[in-house]
Amino acid sequence: MTTTPPTLTPPPFDPELAAALAVMGEMAPTTLTPEMLAFARAAEEAGMDGPFPLMTNEEMSRDGAFEVEERSVPGPEGAPEISLLIVRPTRVQGPRPVIYHTHGGGMVLGNNRLGMEGMIDWAEELGLVVVSVEYRRAPEHPHPAPVEDCYAGLLWTAENAKEIGADPDRIILAGGSAGGGLAAALALMARDRKGPSAIGQILLYPMLDDRNDTPSTHQMVGLGIWDRGANETGWTALLGEARGTADVSPYAAPARAEDLSGLPPAYIDAGSAETFRDEDVAYASRIWQAGGHAELHIWPGGFHAFDGLAPQAALSQDARAARLRWLHRLLGE
Amino acid sequence: MEELAGRLTALDPDAGAAVRVIAYFDRLVEGRAGLEALVRGAAVLSGCPARLVDHGRGVRVRVEADGRRRDAAGPEDSEWPSAALTPGGVPALWLERTGPRSVVDAMVLERAASAARLVLDRTRGRARAHIAAEDPALLETLLDPTAPQAARLHAARGLGLDPSGRARALALPDGHPRVQPFPASDGPGRPLGGRSGGLSGDGRDEGTAGGQVLGPGVPPGSRVGVGPAVPVPDLHESWAAARTALRFTAYGTDPGPRTVHADELGTLALLAEAVGPGTRPPADVRALDSAGAATPWLLATLNAVVSAPSLRTAATELNLHHSTLQDRLSHAEALLGWSVRDPHGRLRLQLALIVRRLMTHQAAFPPAH
Repeated sequence: MTTTPPTLTPPPFDPELAAALAVMGEMAPTTLTPEMLAFARAAEEAGMDGPFPLMTNEEMSRDGAFEVEERSVPGPEGAPEISLLIVRPTRVQGPRPVIYHTHGGGMVLGNNRLGMEGMIDWAEELGLVVVSVEYRRAPEHPHPAPVEDCYAGLLWTAENAKEIGADPDRIILAGGSAGGGLAAALALMARDRKGPSAIGQILLYPMLDDRNDTPSTHQMVGLGIWDRGANETGWTALLGEARGTADVSPYAAPARAEDLSGLPPAYIDAGSAETFRDEDVAYASRIWQAGGHAELHIWPGGFHAFDGLAPQAALSQDARAARLRWLHRLLGE
Repeated sequence: MEELAGRLTALDPDAGAAVRVIAYFDRLVEGRAGLEALVRGAAVLSGCPARLVDHGRGVRVRVEADGRRRDAAGPEDSEWPSAALTPGGVPALWLERTGPRSVVDAMVLERAASAARLVLDRTRGRARAHIAAEDPALLETLLDPTAPQAARLHAARGLGLDPSGRARALALPDGHPRVQPFPASDGPGRPLGGRSGGLSGDGRDEGTAGGQVLGPGVPPGSRVGVGPAVPVPDLHESWAAARTALRFTAYGTDPGPRTVHADELGTLALLAEAVGPGTRPPADVRALDSAGAATPWLLATLNAVVSAPSLRTAATELNLHHSTLQDRLSHAEALLGWSVRDPHGRLRLQLALIVRRLMTHQAAFPPAH
């Protein structure tokens, strides 16, 4: 063998992000283990603040700019109903483009309010409807329950768009982390099942590859947020014994998809100092190689979900601004 | 945008918060973060806008609690908690907040100011007490009375001067202007240097005192004309006055002041206008020149006599016995042709010494055009 093994020296964190991590790190453990999951769930249920804030209805209304509603809609065939959080702009007329949001949390944590701050920022800027789906989580509900719940919510949104002031021809799939993986999976499913065709997919530091074996997964062990160990916890919860084997569906781990052609334009971002860096870069590259449209941003020194943990940092501001610019271009308004 | 502030905002004033503040700024310093990151840290951790202003180094950074840089804002409020970059220095870092001051605020200010000092020293050099000729084009514009005010203010900012502050110009024999921000803690009426006997004091003492007052950029012992402190947009006036003051300094081995402050010249400044390139030396000046050429001690002795409050003091300064000085003065009066010991004669002598200096200067530095 003449190939050089990838270095294990991690890229340095951005100074501001490193400082935020030093102060906030205890709220967001680097390595979530299966044992810690029970505690994290209990803390969620007790309403304790995690590192990423969950918005209340009042916060989401942005002083009356939005109407907030929760609705139960049919789930996948033979499965329970699912809950959609629907946020509609009150001051904009006519059917508006709609963000269909799948929340993050490593497939095992979080609810449909997680990550909504960023969605509502976009909605405020562009007058969008936001629908955020409450899907069943692993390990109680392994694949395909989470992604099928998400898909059922997408179907309902497309079919009932008019009722919520949304334009079914302008659906944008969006999500961060595990939610980014789910959004990518929805794009694949909708393509393959000839379902609702989205006009774009925004994948924020998406969790795409159950194999958990890229250089960045090894580089960042024990560092930042959501390291290789945490990733193993999440993927194993979702896939059990099948994790890392040949028997993994691309709807669970979109990096497994053989064909990335015919997908809506993708926006992908990640930090250079995070587990998902390499799988996210690879996903964008493969979309280009398949003749698709993708915009990729790797933020130097960013750890996983840095813009959520340290929203004030210069890098976080730039990351948010870049997403918004892409949306402006995508929507042409 | 309150939700943007996230979880770092406005830490509770407990011991844990203090530890976090220290950890936060330590990591910024360790990561060699820039000034904006430090000011942002202060804003985010205290939950209110923070600003860093260092006129001397042309630094102005203001960040709001949501982390966004917004430099445009009104003047600093003396009610805001603030910190200096150096112990006893002028305030440079502010938290834009009135009302009771918290322990966390004090800790944030202290850590952020200390980190900012490190960054400034590393990236911009030690604080400049003067602006030297390293920015000649900007200096020229700043001091050019025919340049539009907007251009002069732009140049002032480019040189790191607070356009709304005060400064003074210094003229040196090398012809390159020096401009010094006038310390903010000093009121406009404060006399510069605070010396007496401005024009006639002993050259060496004057030079030493001037060197201390005038700071870096002025070689020790150099002749210096010091312009008055003026609002920055009026610096061209200070520069003109400084060049006039320079002409009143003593050249070479001549006795007299090496540093002259323009605002201590008073009516004497008019003499500078009266002496030009074609001016014929008046009879009294010619008399001083010929007497001085014949008698080596003469000029130093006469300069001491007109500078000192009494003949006795003059004798002490010259290390002469009182009667020896009296003998010398009798000799000088015989050479000059007038008494130097009555009030009128003293004035005549003093004017002749000053005009002689202006003419020496003229001969040594003929105008370029």
